[in-house]
Amino acid sequence: MKTIKTIKRIIPVLLILYFISCNQNILDFEPEDRIAESAVWSDANLINAYHTDLYNAIPHGFYIHMYSKYTDEAYNSAPCCCAELFALNTYSPGNIASMGGVTTDDNWCTNFFYYWDRGYNYIRKVNVFLEKMEEIDVVLEDKKQLVAEAKFLRAFIYFELIKRFGGVPIVSQAYGLGDIESVTFKRNTFDECVAFIEQDLTETMPDLPDQYPSTDANYGRATADACQALLSRTLLYAASPLFNPSNDQQKWQKAADAAEALLDKGYDLYPDYQELFELSQGDAQDEVIFSRGFTTSNGHQAPMHNFNRRYEAYGGWWGSNGPSQNLVDDYDMTNGEPPFLSDGTVNPASGYDPQNPFQDRDPRFDATIVHDETVFRGDTYEMWISEDGSQWGYDSYKNTGDNPRTNYVLKKFMPTEGPFNWQTQFTIQWPHFRLAEIYLNYAEAKFELGDEATAREYISLVRARVGMPALPETVTGEDLRTRIYNERRIEMAFENQRMFDVRRWKIAIDVENRPIRTLDIYLDLSTGVKRYEEVVLLDKSGTYEEKMNLFPISSDEIQRNPELTQTPGW
Amino acid sequence: MKKNRLIKVAIFMLLQLLFSLWSFGQPSMIRGTVTDENGAPLVGVNVVIQGTTIGTTTDVNGEYQIEAGAESTLTFSFVGYLSESIVVGNQTEINITLLPDIMQLQDVVVVGYGTQRRETMTGSISKVGGEEITKSPSPNVTTSLAGRLPGLVVNQRDGWPGREFLDIVIRGNATMDSDPDYEPGTADDPNDPFDVINPNEPLVVIDGVPRDNLSRLNPEDIESITVLKDASAAIYGARGANGVILVTTKQGSQGAPAFNFSYSYAINKPTKIPDMMDAATFAEVYNEAEWYRQGRPDMSTFVPFFTDEAIQKYRDGSDPVLYPNTDWPGEILKDHSYLQRVNLQAKGGSENTRYLLSFGMTDQDGNLKNNPTHYKQYNVRARVDVDLTKALTVGANINAIFNDRTYAAQLVDFVGILQSNPTLVAVYPNGLIAPGRFRNNPLLIDRSGYDKTKDYPLYSTFTATYNVPFVKGLALDASYNYDLRNEFQKLFRTPLYYHEYNVVTGEYDRMVTDNPVELTDTYRKWTTSLFNFRVSYKKTIAQFHNVSAMLGTEQQRWTFSYAQAYRKNFVSAAIPEIDAGSTDPENKENRGSAAETAYNNYFGRVNYDFKRKYLLEFVFRYDGSQVFPEGKRYGFFPGVSAGWRLSEEEFLANLPFISELKLRGSYGELGNDRVPQWQYLQAFQFGNNYVFGGRDAPGIFSSTMPNPDITWEVSKKSDFGLVAELWDGLFGVDLTVFKEKRSNILWRRSLSVSHVFGFPALPDENIGKVDNHGFELVLNHRNTVGDLVYSVIANTSFARSEIIFMDEVPPAEPYQTETGHPFGSDLYYKSDGIFNTQEELNSYPHASGTQVGDIKIVDLNNDGVIDAADRYRYNNSPIPEYVFGLTANFQYKGFDLTLFFQGQTNAYSYDFTLTEIGQQDLDNNCVYRATNRWTVNNQEGATMPRADGWIPGATDFFLYDETFARLKNAELGYSLPGSILSKVKLKNVRVFANGTNLLTWAKEITWKDPELRSGDFTEYPPLRIINFGVNVEF
Repeated sequence: MKTIKTIKRIIPVLLILYFISCNQNILDFEPEDRIAESAVWSDANLINAYHTDLYNAIPHGFYIHMYSKYTDEAYNSAPCCCAELFALNTYSPGNIASMGGVTTDDNWCTNFFYYWDRGYNYIRKVNVFLEKMEEIDVVLEDKKQLVAEAKFLRAFIYFELIKRFGGVPIVSQAYGLGDIESVTFKRNTFDECVAFIEQDLTETMPDLPDQYPSTDANYGRATADACQALLSRTLLYAASPLFNPSNDQQKWQKAADAAEALLDKGYDLYPDYQELFELSQGDAQDEVIFSRGFTTSNGHQAPMHNFNRRYEAYGGWWGSNGPSQNLVDDYDMTNGEPPFLSDGTVNPASGYDPQNPFQDRDPRFDATIVHDETVFRGDTYEMWISEDGSQWGYDSYKNTGDNPRTNYVLKKFMPTEGPFNWQTQFTIQWPHFRLAEIYLNYAEAKFELGDEATAREYISLVRARVGMPALPETVTGEDLRTRIYNERRIEMAFENQRMFDVRRWKIAIDVENRPIRTLDIYLDLSTGVKRYEEVVLLDKSGTYEEKMNLFPISSDEIQRNPELTQTPGW
Repeated sequence: MKKNRLIKVAIFMLLQLLFSLWSFGQPSMIRGTVTDENGAPLVGVNVVIQGTTIGTTTDVNGEYQIEAGAESTLTFSFVGYLSESIVVGNQTEINITLLPDIMQLQDVVVVGYGTQRRETMTGSISKVGGEEITKSPSPNVTTSLAGRLPGLVVNQRDGWPGREFLDIVIRGNATMDSDPDYEPGTADDPNDPFDVINPNEPLVVIDGVPRDNLSRLNPEDIESITVLKDASAAIYGARGANGVILVTTKQGSQGAPAFNFSYSYAINKPTKIPDMMDAATFAEVYNEAEWYRQGRPDMSTFVPFFTDEAIQKYRDGSDPVLYPNTDWPGEILKDHSYLQRVNLQAKGGSENTRYLLSFGMTDQDGNLKNNPTHYKQYNVRARVDVDLTKALTVGANINAIFNDRTYAAQLVDFVGILQSNPTLVAVYPNGLIAPGRFRNNPLLIDRSGYDKTKDYPLYSTFTATYNVPFVKGLALDASYNYDLRNEFQKLFRTPLYYHEYNVVTGEYDRMVTDNPVELTDTYRKWTTSLFNFRVSYKKTIAQFHNVSAMLGTEQQRWTFSYAQAYRKNFVSAAIPEIDAGSTDPENKENRGSAAETAYNNYFGRVNYDFKRKYLLEFVFRYDGSQVFPEGKRYGFFPGVSAGWRLSEEEFLANLPFISELKLRGSYGELGNDRVPQWQYLQAFQFGNNYVFGGRDAPGIFSSTMPNPDITWEVSKKSDFGLVAELWDGLFGVDLTVFKEKRSNILWRRSLSVSHVFGFPALPDENIGKVDNHGFELVLNHRNTVGDLVYSVIANTSFARSEIIFMDEVPPAEPYQTETGHPFGSDLYYKSDGIFNTQEELNSYPHASGTQVGDIKIVDLNNDGVIDAADRYRYNNSPIPEYVFGLTANFQYKGFDLTLFFQGQTNAYSYDFTLTEIGQQDLDNNCVYRATNRWTVNNQEGATMPRADGWIPGATDFFLYDETFARLKNAELGYSLPGSILSKVKLKNVRVFANGTNLLTWAKEITWKDPELRSGDFTEYPPLRIINFGVNVEF
């Protein structure tokens, strides 16, 4: 009896033992929130998804800081948060990596300025893709096109690298962790990199459609025209003084040819310059050759980051992208004359009145910049301060630190209609290439080749869109070069071009040492008369050195690569 | 005999069993009653014949009987009371009164998967009783532990009700943090539970299960907390390297039902709010800074931002609309807020059943006006143990926590309060609320929606103990635990309105923000299930050889999932439910994911002692973690320790003042697996979408390279200790010194791998090495002088770590290496006062932008240039190396007083909020920074740099010694005398007042609470709590 009782008692214990022993595989399971690599390369949809990410390689301008505040287009009243190194050109091999990063998240503010890590990260992604495309068994109908798009993106990445660093190591295969010990990298020359880009693009073009209509579902994908536009910009850079010290005319010829190939491809300047920068992908237009699109679930907040304190748009970054007087002064008068002469005095032929500075300016001024008395979205902007300092307009920097100190607010890329608040994901597209640039590329190359008439013709085409008079034939030689440079500055303001243009033209040593200025506006409350007084916001003199035309490589990276040479001068 | 096994801890039964094995006959029967100091019978007192394991316990009337010889000595011991020993002689009735042991030196200590007697313990283990924790009115249990357990470092870094941020480490940081954010990698995702991994966190085990809710336990439910610091944690193997915190909750006891009711009401306010500049000073400082920014123009041409008239108006308050002088903290902070707690506990039991029912309620208010912050918590615990048969006991322990947290939809941080510009209006004179800075006036916060979280974890434990009747000494234990935590969060944002004075019309315009109504509902669910099965055996061989062994297995599975729904553009804000939102696809979004981890392991312990004099212990764990790939999953982690009780030796017998003297030592190998999961797998995540033709196309990406060889981090710990008690407790000392070597630390390569390879974040590899060493010292003194019983316990601990290898990129200068320093030590420029004159500035290397009045930075490498290479590695981090605790208990008749001091030193933190003042973003700063700043007229007396202020990077000028000492807790109580109690038929009534963070002394950090998170002073400070309560037992 006792034994039976004991056995009965032991049963529950045995049951528990059994329960445990039947669960020996408790550690074997697959992740629920991610996909194993083996699954990726055997599924057409996942291959497409992998390929889609490759497009993220190219930086657009709608992160927190636009590059404009790192040059003479804007004044940065938020001297912090990744932007401090460029205020007074204090960047160096020791700190430049802080302007970089790999993912959008660990680079939430720098706009991939130090693009090295991000660039090579995506080059590897492209190389992995290209290698896998040669191995896989899955039938992909558009495989050729996917490969071509990937090569276009690789070329674009290399261009982004060389315009910053000069020649960089060319990596055309995907390495694994096992290669760490055996592989080191050294720089290829700038020309080798250009040749590599050219080769990628040339190989690619036949496999791509020339273009998609801007309303097409594929608009935004790489096209043969996008390849050609990238080629045009790359060859223009390659011919520019920074990279072409001997002024090799062959290089200018190649640049001119590359631009010329796009002149008759059916693109047209969009009639309304301001509206052009409010368009989203899907809107009809014939000017933008290649753009980065956004949607309401994958949008940007550029308007919020850059506007002043209106419509809840208190500047998250203190309206830190306030257009500078340096830029404003470079808008011509409607009569076609620049308001200032090269010595900085008022050009008498222009009719510019320093006490009425916003009158009769190139229409692109009003399309790009909100200034005192601008009417935008039905509101009149007021940047004045009363003469006795006791009152100020709603948009004055005195009212709140969220109004740009410069008394100018960026208008380009800002929506004239619709919601304007932090909860909105904005969909305005970022133009990577547009026809106006091709005209400017063409004009610049033709000028350097001595064909001043063609140069004037294409500059004038760009000006004609906004109703500006053509460049008179009297503008020649160095004057014409100045006008070409200036046209590019005006037409492509805030498109992240200026910063690199001044470097490739080798005028940065002059431009970047100039003070950042603005106008303070004083209102006499009794008479209603306004007075404009120029002030210096940032004295940059002596901070820019010739070596800064190319960026340094992070000193950590040099340490990791004994054969990698630092950028000259650093 | 032994019908009443009144024991506090389930596994103590095994010890009891041991006693029964060791019986040998004794002639006469002794009887008696054991009472407490008030004459009330004590139930469950252990009565043991000294030198044997023969013993019994007192019954419900405090009575016992035991057979003992005349020469034997009876020892009476009871948890919470001082033990007494009586020589039997020719007595047949021995009545005894036990005095409470205010030292809480209890006999039995919970260790991993079992209990041990303190005197035969060989590990480095600290313990705190639940009574001590309840002396702190803080609603967060973890904060109450600071300073109480030598070796445990707890720092409260901010004070948000219900989500206090706590740094908790045992013996400092002994490993390196390879958080994916450290090097190129993924970002923080609040919904990814693997994303917030602090590799230095100790393992917290509550009632046998690794659980994460220590802070939210009801302090009244806690029986004891022990901390395993050395090789004794090897029984937790792969998760024991950072030490283990074991929490044991109370259980029922046999006897008549006992009720305990307590209520307390506390008022609290932040310990320290920095003194911020007033409007006039702010304006002056801003003008100064502006003048510097403009290159110090001639005063005749300089147009200040704030005119003299304006500053005068700020100062005299004549125009509070246009020229206010707003004291933002004063406008926004309440004078005090409340915290109230109710607890009701009932326990008791019959012959075969013991139960404990506990209910607790905590209700805490926020400290900001107009802020919906509110924290409410209910704790319910039901514990039942039933002896089904003589041999089989089953039990259940169910704990539910209902945790309701309400915050504002938009987090009001102290940045918004402290740095708000004092020249902005908070409230207009007519009572309308102004927009404030960035339209973020914290007074508007109740108008913009809310963030409500209902977090309802349910913890359950079911146990069974079977004392195998036909094999003496053999016991089987099994438990099954299932925890289910459901959390529902509703984040509702609505447009808000405010008033703004219109300078043109002179009206107060009512403004409404145009943001849409938005709602995010998030449902999160966690589950943990754990099976545990143990076999234990105890035997005494040849009278003196005591052997016990335990072998067990455990499996754990943890899951997490979440689903999130979002809508915006609600027609009205009336119904905050998803269905009321817009159905337009553009206005909807949803997310969700899931994760899982598992452990499988085997563990055991063997104890041997000879005459309780020579002690030996071996523990091990064979641990399998799913974090690692097949083939690398299992690891073996052994620990061995030994002790020698010299006080038991003959040769010390003639030194009667030595009550206890023990040497002990241990060595163990432990593991650590606190790294992100799936690193061995090349895996892809959804994300990085791109847009074609105005439509979203899905993307996938991999954020790390796989490491197929990833495995455990190994910690080798050696400890040596000395425990002594002299003159019966007049003086006691417990000293432990330790050394630890960590290797295989999971760390990312940074030197060897060029970024040109383009790898995504590198995986953790087992490459890092860190050494750690230190000591812990506890000194105690207790004495009785007449009616005054008092004790003083002081503890201090020290830990310092040093990185031995981390694949560091050789820095520009040798003094910058991180290797050789503690993890977390940072680079700083060395400061050497302030440039007072232009000549001084010109003659000294300085970074461009430096002006007279700025900090002089030392050109450490003498290259004539101040750049990043001039930074040096500071040897200390914000984690303190020394922590102190001092507890003093006094008891006089019905009164009791406890004082608890806590402190730390060798910790340094940087305060970047002090670096600049008068910047263009119009941040306010504290008076501490503004006073004695350098100005043209105050050069020699300046202790702070000029307004605006420019530094090339973090300098040690703003690096502050975090040393502080504070009166962390004080409690004064009065128990009504027994004569009154008997009339009102209550067992015990005690009224008390206590407080937390009552007094603070800080060496350098005087403008803010010295414990705040490193970096800035704009965090929610810890609270000072003053509490009044009553406790009734009946």
